[in-house]
Amino acid sequence: MISCKELHVTFNRGLPTEKLALRGIDLTIPQGEFVTVIGSNGAGKSTLLNTIAGDINSTKGQILFGDRDVTKLPATGRTADIARVFQDPLAGTCGDLTVEENMALAYGRGQRGRLSSALNSKMRKVFREQLSRLNLGLENRLESEMGLLSGGQRQSVSLLMSALQPSTILLLDEHTAALDPKTAALIMDITSQIIAEKQLTVMMVTHSMRQALDHGSRTIMLHEGKIIFDLAGEKRAGYEVKDLLNLFAQAKSDGEELDDDKLLLGA
Amino acid sequence: MSLFSFLGTLEIGLIYGLVAIGVYLTFRILDFPDLTVDGSFTLGAAVTATLIVMGVNVFLATLAGTIAAACAGLVTAWLNLRFDILHLLASILTMTALYTINLRVMGKPNVALIMEPTILTPFEGMFGLPDMYMRVIFVAVCAIAGGLLVAWFLRTQYGLAMRAVGSNKRMAQANGIVVKQKVYAGLALSNGLVGLAGALFAQTNGFADSTMGIGTIVVGLAAVIIGQSLFASRSMYVIVLSCIVGSVLYRLAVSMALNADFLGFSASDLNLITAVLVALALIFPKLRNEWKAKQAARKEA
Ligand SMILES: Nc1ncnc2c1ncn2[C@@H]1O[C@H](COP(=O)(O)OP(=O)(O)OP(=O)(O)O)[C@@H](O)[C@H]1O
Ligand SMILES: [Mg+2]
Repeated sequence: MISCKELHVTFNRGLPTEKLALRGIDLTIPQGEFVTVIGSNGAGKSTLLNTIAGDINSTKGQILFGDRDVTKLPATGRTADIARVFQDPLAGTCGDLTVEENMALAYGRGQRGRLSSALNSKMRKVFREQLSRLNLGLENRLESEMGLLSGGQRQSVSLLMSALQPSTILLLDEHTAALDPKTAALIMDITSQIIAEKQLTVMMVTHSMRQALDHGSRTIMLHEGKIIFDLAGEKRAGYEVKDLLNLFAQAKSDGEELDDDKLLLGA
Repeated sequence: MSLFSFLGTLEIGLIYGLVAIGVYLTFRILDFPDLTVDGSFTLGAAVTATLIVMGVNVFLATLAGTIAAACAGLVTAWLNLRFDILHLLASILTMTALYTINLRVMGKPNVALIMEPTILTPFEGMFGLPDMYMRVIFVAVCAIAGGLLVAWFLRTQYGLAMRAVGSNKRMAQANGIVVKQKVYAGLALSNGLVGLAGALFAQTNGFADSTMGIGTIVVGLAAVIIGQSLFASRSMYVIVLSCIVGSVLYRLAVSMALNADFLGFSASDLNLITAVLVALALIFPKLRNEWKAKQAARKEA
């Protein structure tokens, strides 16, 4: 379970460039729930995920995993609970290391760096099994440099890496945004499989209204650092993409600037 | 080249092989260009020589020199990690400070070890080998053992984590790796190796001098670049050992250039020779690839 209480994040506090990115997020996600997160560019979606992961320190408020207060815990202290896939396919993997070395890093997540061999045949077997799920032929390229793989291939490996260790929370930040439609669908499929297998608590940021409604059981929308609506249950079941778009437009007109976000909302 | 000067060149190349491994760790593994080495090479030599003159056991003295140099690396890492001083600048600051510290450690610009016992003394006359062979064997064992240890280390979980930190900090962190700790460890290890090289250099050459470290970084980089342009491999063992090979080849090339009368170089032309060698090492792999591509194209046609 994740709960955020009165969560505030301010960037560049006290400087002329001060930016209030999160302004009081109250959110409780029960164990095993899959929440999709939508909102326009700059709404604070990535900031929220990064704050939950510990990359960003909150300026006010509390974060709890279950009943454990992790507000002060640095990112590395939370990795035993959290697995993540980033929006940028290059961000989740090391281009200079091989596929198997990258996977070995994820395999050791949450453990201390020890002086035992980083790779062994048992791990390679697990990696090969996992990679073959992708049907991309990557199981034969364990020793290829990650940097030589395409963006979609790298993102697929990142996703598998997130599931190599037991964790309870999965944070996905527009993890299919940079992929072609076919690969995006494949990745989304595998994501759903992993979530079901491991019964994870999931937050998935997306700009696709379709994706937001098709996956998970709850949808929240952020606007200017606040949650402006929270949809679940029957109400959500009756929602269509156009209803979401209306809500979006409403939020916009309540706010100030109206830009070209509509372009992003089509899909 | 006479046998005597060949062995001398080999000996220096092997010692600087340790420097090259240290430079490889910072520049390539951690992506942390570190110029501290100019100072930490001298620091290793200065601490070791001073302690030996004071009568301390040669092995302890060498260890102390190595640790002192490792601490210099920690200072650079601290300036960078704690205060966000750009890595290059942080290392220049430490290097500059070390110049004074080295003078203070020795109390004078140089310390002679000619009449003192050194780390080589216990091995003198071993297997009935003449001194000049024994010295080369000794430094070769040191360099290769150092290289094997570093390569082994880089293949452990801890070492892999360090490589991830140099490649993608965000990914490293998301996988539970404490980034700062790895940077500290890497800089300490790198400078420790360089300090050990300084300590060995002082003992094989019979002196420590406050200016002996000038240009260490360039020599180390030259060795890394030469080594890697010759051996393209993903194996950590090959990569690390190629640093040593690169260092030896660099020394041999320099001494051949200096000895070739028709080239007319004098000892003071060393810097130009170094620059040309490094440029060649950088150009060579590119030309080789272009040539291979051309061959392949011709085959298809
Ligand atoms: N490190 C930072 N320093 C200063 N401001 C930042 C920083 N990171 C984000 N911001 C600001 O905080 C606000 C929220 O950014 P965030 O990245 O969370 O948006 P987002 O909802 O993920 O947008 P997108 O859909 O474009 O990814 C933006 O106005 C952004 O400019
Ligand atoms: Mg974002």
